[in-house]
Amino acid sequence: MKRVLSVFLGILTAIGGFVDIGDLVANALVGSRFGLSLAWATLIGVVGICVFAEMSGRVAAVTGRGTFDLIRERLGPRVGLLNLTASLLVTLLTFTAEVGGVALALELATSVNYLLFVPVVGLAVWLVIWRVKFSTLEDVFGLLGLALIVFGVALWQLNPSWGDLLHQIAVPQKPADEDVATYFYYAIALFGAAMTPYEVFFFSSGGVEEHWRTKDIGTARANVFIGFPLGGLLSLAIAGCAAVVLLPDGIQVDTLGQVGLPVAVALGKLALAVAILGFVAATFGAAIETGLSTGYATAQYFGWQWGKYVRPRQAARFHTVVLLAVIAAVAGVLTTADPIKVTEYSIVFSAVALPLTYFPILVVANDPVYMGRHVNGKLANGLGSVFLVVIGIAAVAAIPLMLITAAGQ
Amino acid sequence: MTEEPFDLRLRLLDRQVVDRDGGLVCKVDDVEFDRGPDGTWHVVALLSGPQALGPRLPGRLGRWVMAVGRRLSLHPDAAPRRIPFERVTDIGSAVSVDRTRDQLGVAALEDWVREHVIDPIPGSRHESE
Repeated sequence: MKRVLSVFLGILTAIGGFVDIGDLVANALVGSRFGLSLAWATLIGVVGICVFAEMSGRVAAVTGRGTFDLIRERLGPRVGLLNLTASLLVTLLTFTAEVGGVALALELATSVNYLLFVPVVGLAVWLVIWRVKFSTLEDVFGLLGLALIVFGVALWQLNPSWGDLLHQIAVPQKPADEDVATYFYYAIALFGAAMTPYEVFFFSSGGVEEHWRTKDIGTARANVFIGFPLGGLLSLAIAGCAAVVLLPDGIQVDTLGQVGLPVAVALGKLALAVAILGFVAATFGAAIETGLSTGYATAQYFGWQWGKYVRPRQAARFHTVVLLAVIAAVAGVLTTADPIKVTEYSIVFSAVALPLTYFPILVVANDPVYMGRHVNGKLANGLGSVFLVVIGIAAVAAIPLMLITAAGQ
Repeated sequence: MTEEPFDLRLRLLDRQVVDRDGGLVCKVDDVEFDRGPDGTWHVVALLSGPQALGPRLPGRLGRWVMAVGRRLSLHPDAAPRRIPFERVTDIGSAVSVDRTRDQLGVAALEDWVREHVIDPIPGSRHESE
């Protein structure tokens, strides 16, 4: 039973990390503009996050070290600090978007302006981080986030031409009215969203919080290979729903309401309520993950005590960083910057920061002094190396494509 | 200690220091050497804190880190925090020492933040539920 429960850690990171506010919107937006012709970017992203999350989980289980610990150790203080700065900015931007996303989902449910919810959401996120046990947190949000499966049910109920959808996935073809740069810009956005760095910070640190040992490598793997693909499948279902319902009518997604629209069309009001519950759970879960990740990354760089497995006063600097991050995120949303735009930028910037995060993981997972007999095998190394190249290309191309396409306009 | 060459930069520098209760203490931001009577150099202490990290960061950023460290420091000397090498019991994926974090007294900022920011918040002394 304990084993089954611990798989929820993977599902939580997957739902929260894969299907957070930006992915909800990015997948629905891409679905409504490109059909499933960009599904390959999500699929590649799923394989990529599986490869590196598995490595980071294995390293955490064998050595008890979180990912940023390794980044500092292998890249040294200079590049490590550069990396920390970039990662913190991206993670804070994502955190801001998640807090905004929770508020937007609550606005959908109540019709009360989202800005009124923001301080309450911020307080709630902080309280959960301050008081709630790590394992409770993962069970609750893992379970509630599964409400998003309603998108899968909706897609099935819409009874699309499955052959046609599969054809779009298998033989990707850019829609005639979109240009090449925009197409690849959104490919990078989906890829960056799938492989966001905070996911490995959270996943590896979560493993340390859970006191993983070498014998828990199996659990870590189950988390990765069940959780992340499940998150990817939900992403595809969201894109599929948009492709079937919104694309033919030429509706472009730019609000959270439009993301849920296909569910309402297919299954009615009650299902929409379930979808909104899923939105709240996924964005709230992701808000907690990103908030904790700012603390994990900073504390692991400087060597401070961190984690929820000790009392807050024993990790005072860690909790101070998290508290400051919550304040910054709340202030960020209250500037009335569109949370959906904020996330779109955050996932593209994550794509830029990816190589610095994933390279040290690959190096350490290959260090026999460190890993003993749990060192990387040929498959992990092969895939890891290939993905480093892919990540490198995405990182280099992200900003130029953003400028050329005016952020996908 | 060992006859095989030991790469300090790879195996010691920037490692996490863990105390005897498993608590996280600091990073090995730098190391202190001393010359023995036979003319060989030995590591005599692990150094940490802004005064140890600053010199390893580039130019102005490094000086800035040291200046901030001096400003925040409760100690008048503002020297790097020092852990004598005799305290080290193991060097693996982390560096283990045989004292507790409080005995080592290397984290002045932690103490200050605990006293002034975290302790006043209700629930800071409780385990999570």
